[in-house]
Amino acid sequence: MSVVVVGLNHRSAPIALREKFAFAEREIPDALGRMRESGLVEEAVILSTCNRLEIYAAGSLHPNEMVVEIQKFLLSSRNVTEAVGTEIYSHSDSHGVEHLFKVASGLDSMLLGETEILGQLKKAYDLALQHKFTGKTLNKAFQRAFNVAKQIRTETNIQRGSVSVAAASVELAEKIFDKLTDKKVMVIGAGDTSEKTARALLSRGAHSVIVSNRSFERAQILAEALDGKAIRFDDWSEEFAKVDIIISSTAATRFVIDRKKLEPLMPSRKGRPLLLIDIAVPRDIEPEVNFMENVFLFNIDDLQAIADDYMDQRKSEIAQCEKIIREKAAGLFREPEHVRMNQQNQQAAGAS
Amino acid sequence: MSWPPDKNWFLIAVILYGIASLYTFFLWRKGFRRDDWVCYGLLASGFVFHFVAMVKRGLSLDRCPIDNLYEATSFFMWATVAIYLVVGWWPRVRFVGAFASPLLFAVGIFAMFPGLDQKGIEPRYINGPVSAHAAMILLGYGAYGIAAVAAVMYLSQEHNLKYRKMMAIQSLLPPIQRLEKLNTRMLIAAQLLLTFGLAMAPFIVKSGPPAKLFTDAKFLWSVLVWSMYLSLIVLHWRKKLNGHRLAWGSAGAFVFVMLTFWGTNLLSKLHQ
Repeated sequence: MSVVVVGLNHRSAPIALREKFAFAEREIPDALGRMRESGLVEEAVILSTCNRLEIYAAGSLHPNEMVVEIQKFLLSSRNVTEAVGTEIYSHSDSHGVEHLFKVASGLDSMLLGETEILGQLKKAYDLALQHKFTGKTLNKAFQRAFNVAKQIRTETNIQRGSVSVAAASVELAEKIFDKLTDKKVMVIGAGDTSEKTARALLSRGAHSVIVSNRSFERAQILAEALDGKAIRFDDWSEEFAKVDIIISSTAATRFVIDRKKLEPLMPSRKGRPLLLIDIAVPRDIEPEVNFMENVFLFNIDDLQAIADDYMDQRKSEIAQCEKIIREKAAGLFREPEHVRMNQQNQQAAGAS
Repeated sequence: MSWPPDKNWFLIAVILYGIASLYTFFLWRKGFRRDDWVCYGLLASGFVFHFVAMVKRGLSLDRCPIDNLYEATSFFMWATVAIYLVVGWWPRVRFVGAFASPLLFAVGIFAMFPGLDQKGIEPRYINGPVSAHAAMILLGYGAYGIAAVAAVMYLSQEHNLKYRKMMAIQSLLPPIQRLEKLNTRMLIAAQLLLTFGLAMAPFIVKSGPPAKLFTDAKFLWSVLVWSMYLSLIVLHWRKKLNGHRLAWGSAGAFVFVMLTFWGTNLLSKLHQ
């Protein structure tokens, strides 16, 4: 039985095209049913995420024929009338399996090494399995893909490190504080990245958030979204003694926090460390404060450098990951030696 | 004293501490990115040989082996490793071993210098209390040693967080707040041990032949060290000495102890 994959992703097609091919979860069982009924495939799984739409299929048709038919099915089922060329890619047999393993391991993701795709792939497979659209071939391929993803995660550094500014901030906080559960975060300036960073800290257990913004209404909206407390912009220093982490991202053209302002406030902290995350451009926090005792300042360049460095490390792991994938894909449908010998013997006996 | 057989065991222990130090060098170079079971294992193996060396020496003397500089140094090292093996079971503090092993190796080499393992006169005092007094004090110094190691780790990680940010984030060293806690707890434990050990001194001297405790160099030095560490703890407790300064205080005080411990031993008639 041949295995093929037909689809499009963030690299091959723009979002305007990807969204035309996207399947809602409730549509998938029906689509799989129609594919099988038409005799195109015997087994199939549809993976539909914001970055990719892929159909994994197994059948007795020739792979090239199966690819053409699935492409036709895709266009017709999604009512796409415009001409589509290289935006839709296809892989068959061992290349198809290798592609599946790469997707499962996050090697084909927009954010190299991310793990969310593995969960999405498992969900897509479970849906097909539940409705009995998978069989021996795809079950084996998907189970192996999950194992390969696990092996790659444990044996390589492809998923190591924080590759976003928010994640890098959390990692830094964990290098300073014994635990985050009792730590208070203050957000100065209600920007998108500061919200993401605050959310990342909260997801790792940070105790609470205080939001301060020039527009008090915006501060209230963000505070509500983060289940925190809003304060007026000029009142941030009054809360200073209580907070452990400050994320600043205002549009101010001058420093919001400088050494002169911090020095008289520091004794009230009784020696507790203070993490300052400055993600504003131009900067909100005077670099000089990093020389103060118990103060640790990181600006957007520091955080981006950390994220980039981790990304470079991940990229350097690609070759190792691909080697594992090639080995595992090559061995997937190869019959064990004794089975092959038996088959050869039977064939020889039949011929004689 | 020539080369007694128990010293072979001590030599093996020092070699293992040396291998741990060598391994530590690679851990440093790699920025402490791997778990530190190897270093822990090497120190634990060294501890076993070290323990055998001390038991053999103790059995041959029929008392706790702390009669000369070699024995006192060996006991101090043993106490340091013992405390580390307990503390290091906590995964995020295991890297203390990477910082402790060069110290142990250096002190171990020093302990084997000729002339330190002199057979002294038979102890004049009652055996049990003397052993307890010395054991408690040396365990205390071991705990001060671990506190100093935690302090050095704090200073190293703090420096990285301020100036070599990538290295700080990629290392597996514990967060600085945890290192400060370890430093403080070890200082308190050590202070208690030293306090009990010193409090026994007048009773030991009383029960032996007449001796001038309050003019003895070692006793005065011990009181100075005790006061120095007590002031560190009190200042920390009153929030006057935190993080960076406490780390410098702890590391500095221990350097002072290391530089003066053996000298004051030689000046002390009670400890000869």
